[in-house]
Amino acid sequence: MSKCGQARAYNLDMEFAFQGFESIVGWLFINAVQPLLFSLDLMSWSEQAFDATAFFVGGALSIVVTALVCLPLERLAPAQRVSTRTNVRTDVAYTLVNKLGLLPLLSFGVLLALVTPVDAWLRLHGFAPFSLEDVAPMLAALPLVSVLLYALVIDFFEYWRHRLQHRIHWWWQLHALHHAQRDMTFWSDDRNHILDELIAALWLATIALLIGVPPAQFPLVIFATKFIESLSHANLRWNFGLLKYVLVSPQFHRVHHAIGLGHEGARHGVNFAVMFSFWDKLFGTADFRDEYPATGIRDQTTGRDYGMTFWETQWLGFKRLFNRA
Amino acid sequence: MKTRFISIVRLAASLALIGSLINVSHALKPGERVIVLNSGDGTVSIIDRATRKVMETRPVGKEPHHLVTTLDDSELVIANAASNDLVFLDPLSGEVKRRLPRIIDPYQLGYSPDGKWFVSVSLRLDRVDVYAMPSYELKARIPLAKTPSHVAFSADSKFAYVTLQDSDELAAIDLATQKEAWRIKIGKTPAGIWMSPQGLLFVGIMGRDHVDVIDPAKREVIKKIVTGKGAHNVFPMGNGEHVLVSNRVDGTIVKVDYKNLSVVGKPIKVGSGVDCMEVSADGKEVWATVRWEARVAVIDMTGAKPIEYIPVGRSPHGVYFKSHAKRDR
Ligand SMILES: [Zn+2]
Ligand SMILES: [Zn+2]
Repeated sequence: MSKCGQARAYNLDMEFAFQGFESIVGWLFINAVQPLLFSLDLMSWSEQAFDATAFFVGGALSIVVTALVCLPLERLAPAQRVSTRTNVRTDVAYTLVNKLGLLPLLSFGVLLALVTPVDAWLRLHGFAPFSLEDVAPMLAALPLVSVLLYALVIDFFEYWRHRLQHRIHWWWQLHALHHAQRDMTFWSDDRNHILDELIAALWLATIALLIGVPPAQFPLVIFATKFIESLSHANLRWNFGLLKYVLVSPQFHRVHHAIGLGHEGARHGVNFAVMFSFWDKLFGTADFRDEYPATGIRDQTTGRDYGMTFWETQWLGFKRLFNRA
Repeated sequence: MKTRFISIVRLAASLALIGSLINVSHALKPGERVIVLNSGDGTVSIIDRATRKVMETRPVGKEPHHLVTTLDDSELVIANAASNDLVFLDPLSGEVKRRLPRIIDPYQLGYSPDGKWFVSVSLRLDRVDVYAMPSYELKARIPLAKTPSHVAFSADSKFAYVTLQDSDELAAIDLATQKEAWRIKIGKTPAGIWMSPQGLLFVGIMGRDHVDVIDPAKREVIKKIVTGKGAHNVFPMGNGEHVLVSNRVDGTIVKVDYKNLSVVGKPIKVGSGVDCMEVSADGKEVWATVRWEARVAVIDMTGAKPIEYIPVGRSPHGVYFKSHAKRDR
């Protein structure tokens, strides 16, 4: 087959995959969501609901794909022995709640209700927020380059959000939930307090106000980012070789989760990067030691309880916020 | 740290520049093109009207929803809601001619018949912007809650009429003073709007199943014409008699006699989320975007049924071709 032919076959596959995904989203929207919107007098929300439906289907698909890749890998080369299955089950619940419920919901309503009025007010009073395309107008015709640029900038802000999660006392009370997992698996990526997820969504929305809305191809990047993030939590002996200086590997992120080594209150922390590991190198927080230490928070070893099930961990997170746990 | 960040942005920008030089655009062969806006992926699909094959899918900006031609029909104007700009295309070939930045959140748009005004409706930001032509100088930002959707003009260009999706209202803007002149309550979730040569406004009532016919002189709804659930857009056939109404939930297109204010014939089943339409000069062929099915339908009006579906991008919205029927107004 000629090179050109190969390229065409590849394109057809992509098109086929796109049409497949779109028809699932369309089918679900037409048969379940739109009738609901119509009967609830919410037709004005059609576009957002259509996007939320795509988030839901995309979430389900990404759970399947991530599990298909990570489950065999975790069996092949685990970094540690799983001590309590319940711990893992809790994170499975977190993944389902986040990817199928919270994310579509946040994309649908909360953000719109909270962010749009601010945006509208700013723009009505003549503040035209900066957009990356202003720096490089040719980006408008190059969505793929543009998407990578947006991903880079957003990941930069994600690095700093993560550093603040460790630095600011009340924020750490929420983020501690994520770190209290001593049986870390690829499911653990979604193990976050609901309030923390809400803050993350607002953080992202604020960045969008600052740099413009990423092009429509962005969900593909989100998918890739989320995949790397999930993989980085996998119970897996893998350091990505030389690629570890670019992407966050399971080994690199395990060091961040390591008791005493990766984080110690607001005083010490390494390997905060979410997708691109070079941010840590750039800002002097990288620790590339090739070890697979035990994960958790130091005071867990002296008996502090962070909860075990979904609701326990959520509730204790709230209580910690108000210094009640 | 800040300078480092800026230099990273600069580096990426220059990479983008190199990329744009490599990105060679494909030359178009002669023949009329149909231009479809894929609002969900920020692209235009350029379709050969005769063969009904997609010739090219090209990035155009973020969230292109609606399009309109300049009054002399020399340029096709695409409104990129999330890119905050307008893109001007050659209406025949679909080639990009120029880009006009800093038009904020243009969701729907239109030129007043006298050519003096350009109105951009911002659905997301609850406001309508009025620009003086031909300079596109911003004259006024008019707050207009809630969720302004579509715009139509009075024949004398005195008023712009805007549907307000979330407050179930119709607002009239006095173009000379750029102030809201009046507003009235109409049906649930009003969307598409069209002004008939008789001076009546036809509004698709998306939250229900009909078109509200409004007499702006009396400022009241004078008739409800039942067309189908999710009545959305109203588009003239150019024969001095009929408009087409797309019904999103029922997925149908219905022909309405705009002088007798009555439905003509049976609903044509097209597909869920049927939205914008374009009519051929002879009125025999209608192209319609089907939002939730990611395709456009080609409808044979003689047989009153779709004869072909063409897969396009995500959530296709505006559709246009050059040899269209004249726009009754
Ligand atoms: Zn952390
Ligand atoms: Zn983590």
